[in-house]
Amino acid sequence: MEKFFDEIFSRKEALKGVRVLDITRVILGPWCATLLAELGAEVIHVEVPGTGDVLIRPVAPWGDFPRGISPGMMCANANKYFFGLDMRKEEGQEIVKELVARTDILIENFKGGTFEKWGIGYRQLREINPSLIYISMQGFGNWGPLSERPSYDAYAQGITGLAEITGFEESMATKSSAWIGDFLSGTYGAFVAMVALFYRKRTGKGQFIDISQAELLIRSMDWTWLYQKVAGKRRSRFGNRDMAVVPSCIVRTKDGFAALGAWTEREFNGLISVMGREDLSEFAPLEKRHQGAEKIYSAVEEWAKGVSTADLLEAAERGGFAAARVMNSKDIHESPHFNERRAVWKFDDPVWGDLAYPFALHLEETPGRIRWSMRPVGFDNEYVLRKVLGLSQEKVAELYEKGVVGKWDEKVPFACPPPGWDGEAGLTFKE
Amino acid sequence: MDWTTWSRENTDPGKAVGKPEALDGLLVIDFSYGSFAGLYASSLLAEFGARVIRVEPPEGDVARKMSPFGLEIDGTGLPYIVEGRNKEHITLNLETEEGRRIARELVKKADVFIETSPPGFMEERGFGYEALKAENEGLVYLSLHTCGRRGELAEKAKSANWACYDTTAQALSGFAWTTGIPEYFEGFPEHTKVPTKMGNWIAWYAGGTFGAFAVMAALYAREFTGKGQFIDISPAEALMNLNNYALHYYHLSGKVMERPGNIEPAAHPYCYVRCKDGMVFIAGYTDQNFQALCSIIGRPDLPEKYPTVRDRTNVDNAFAIIQEIEKFTMEKTREEIVELWLSYRGPGVTVAGEVLSPDETVKFDHWYERGALVERKEEPWGDLLIQGTVAKMTETPPRIKWVCRKVGADNESVYSEFLGLSSKEVGALREKGVI
Repeated sequence: MEKFFDEIFSRKEALKGVRVLDITRVILGPWCATLLAELGAEVIHVEVPGTGDVLIRPVAPWGDFPRGISPGMMCANANKYFFGLDMRKEEGQEIVKELVARTDILIENFKGGTFEKWGIGYRQLREINPSLIYISMQGFGNWGPLSERPSYDAYAQGITGLAEITGFEESMATKSSAWIGDFLSGTYGAFVAMVALFYRKRTGKGQFIDISQAELLIRSMDWTWLYQKVAGKRRSRFGNRDMAVVPSCIVRTKDGFAALGAWTEREFNGLISVMGREDLSEFAPLEKRHQGAEKIYSAVEEWAKGVSTADLLEAAERGGFAAARVMNSKDIHESPHFNERRAVWKFDDPVWGDLAYPFALHLEETPGRIRWSMRPVGFDNEYVLRKVLGLSQEKVAELYEKGVVGKWDEKVPFACPPPGWDGEAGLTFKE
Repeated sequence: MDWTTWSRENTDPGKAVGKPEALDGLLVIDFSYGSFAGLYASSLLAEFGARVIRVEPPEGDVARKMSPFGLEIDGTGLPYIVEGRNKEHITLNLETEEGRRIARELVKKADVFIETSPPGFMEERGFGYEALKAENEGLVYLSLHTCGRRGELAEKAKSANWACYDTTAQALSGFAWTTGIPEYFEGFPEHTKVPTKMGNWIAWYAGGTFGAFAVMAALYAREFTGKGQFIDISPAEALMNLNNYALHYYHLSGKVMERPGNIEPAAHPYCYVRCKDGMVFIAGYTDQNFQALCSIIGRPDLPEKYPTVRDRTNVDNAFAIIQEIEKFTMEKTREEIVELWLSYRGPGVTVAGEVLSPDETVKFDHWYERGALVERKEEPWGDLLIQGTVAKMTETPPRIKWVCRKVGADNESVYSEFLGLSSKEVGALREKGVI
């Protein structure tokens, strides 16, 4: 097993040779592109020179930027080349076109039609590159009655009803503090990008793709819609109990919180046996299970209160039903299991020092990997201009002069390299 | 033609029929059991045209019984009906020698194999990756399980036979820890101020999405190498990847991100506030955007009092700011607030949006026009309202061809096509409990 993880960097990358132009902001688009970058695509992340993405770089809990790092920017921007380009300028738009001629996938998440106004919409760009895959990601999509509305993740969680079905009925609608509408839609976007790339590999054809964040949350809300149709009433909130899989829940233990699941008859019998509640065995058959939901959940919650989390987990091993500790980021960071799997990926970043990322893409032959973290605004300009576009040093100097391209503004700390950066570490292109 | 019209004309899911399907010609064998991570992964592939053969034991997948309050239509639960789309539903008993032989015949022809059983289960029956690879080098083998296939927890799951659940994955991912109402919030019952699972099966859906993504990446790589591979996706890790910067920040600062209720600790205001008839989402968290928000509520004094992100995200100030905003919003309905914000034309960007319950959500025409929600009648299920497909695409749009089928509905056609069996022979296999 260790051998597998030691060899990750010597293995091939699934998306080696695929170039992605990532002209996105906040989380939704950036995360989509990051997943492609984790599998080996060359991703060029475009930001406005100076401040960079002002909607996410300043996002830090309580305004805390440890070591000068923006946590909001960091979490959705690994493995990319950072390009500071002013697309509002005509010459900036020309550079986008030149890049598009060399690009496989373009991702943008500006308001529908914005790129057309700038002369770089899908209809213009497909003239330059007919096999381009162009992905546009918004709150509500490029068309339809709600498409004029701006959106954020928490709005998507609100308008779809996801927040209203989360939490306790006797408390209030509860959104996830995670920007799940952004992250999950970004993941779906990466999947769709691969579908389109696969199709293009076989046919040579590119296409335009429109993805709405709110619609993806609707898609992910399992039985909500059909239940309302069939039962004729709204889906309410059931706290930590799963009302479709009984029992599957999160419970308070003597010293913390744990989750358990015991759906099959075998698992259910194992559970009531370790609880000493064989009196519930009448509910073991799946046809009877839902009738006993209230009794079963009360029994599980009562039992859990009296045992430690460790004891509960041990009981689950004895009883043969699934259980897990409710972990926080410290537990995860220290977990031997997640560290061994590199689900917690610790590495030394050339710009920022030692960092940790969560990681999930365990493909055996073409494993994903984390190479580096996000970078200061315009950090990789020379890589993009000199290496990818092959521009001369004089031309590059002229673009800087005119403000078409640029790096970080020294007065904007969240756009800058860390204090003490030596001016070299991490650079991807040297003359 | 303007952009809105063009994009609608060319990506309207109502016009998908007749267009090519991106995954046409791919064969997926979905051996998942009791897990909507597996079912969702195969749904995503099926929506794009892969042929998905859903294999269940003769009595049906236990996932068919997972349904709110046990509600069923003709023996099948609601969530299974939703994720049965475009799949051929066959039965097969892996506990019999003949069943295993038939399964191997199917897998030989497959491009993708999906399974969600406890670690070890498939290996013990001869369906581990190594065994299948020997007969089909191009096979992409997706294994989905909360604990993954390697590591300490995988070993435990193997010895104790742990199945793949959504709640256990939500627990391990750190997601439940950061969701819910904090202890210090006033006015809520004590038992509700705990780490809270998402109402939907968020870990299963996240795991399924990562799984489908990884499968497509493997299929793309296979175009160059001809070789398949083994993929180990944990829905817990998938969700862990979607939990903002919780892990990154702990590493940097030693601080654990705790559950913040409906307030965003890293940007404020970006939260739900109360109004006359419920709650609304309000955002205006950068300096300029906060000014925009405050100009709408007629409070130019607030940006002076809380000029920086740091001032606003300070916990005490955050509550004070919410109180000030609520003085305004409590006088108005959700609809009034949304209209007011949409009509704002000043500098900066500020957003307000309604927090709705799902029975209110379904009232927007938007979802139906774009095919995000679909009303459909299909026997034996009757009148349905289900999620449609999400991506709108000009060339290879996804689509729903049929909604779901009953246990073993496609046995005759599939076994005839793949093994050349007559309906009499299929009947005999059924008698023997092989299928």
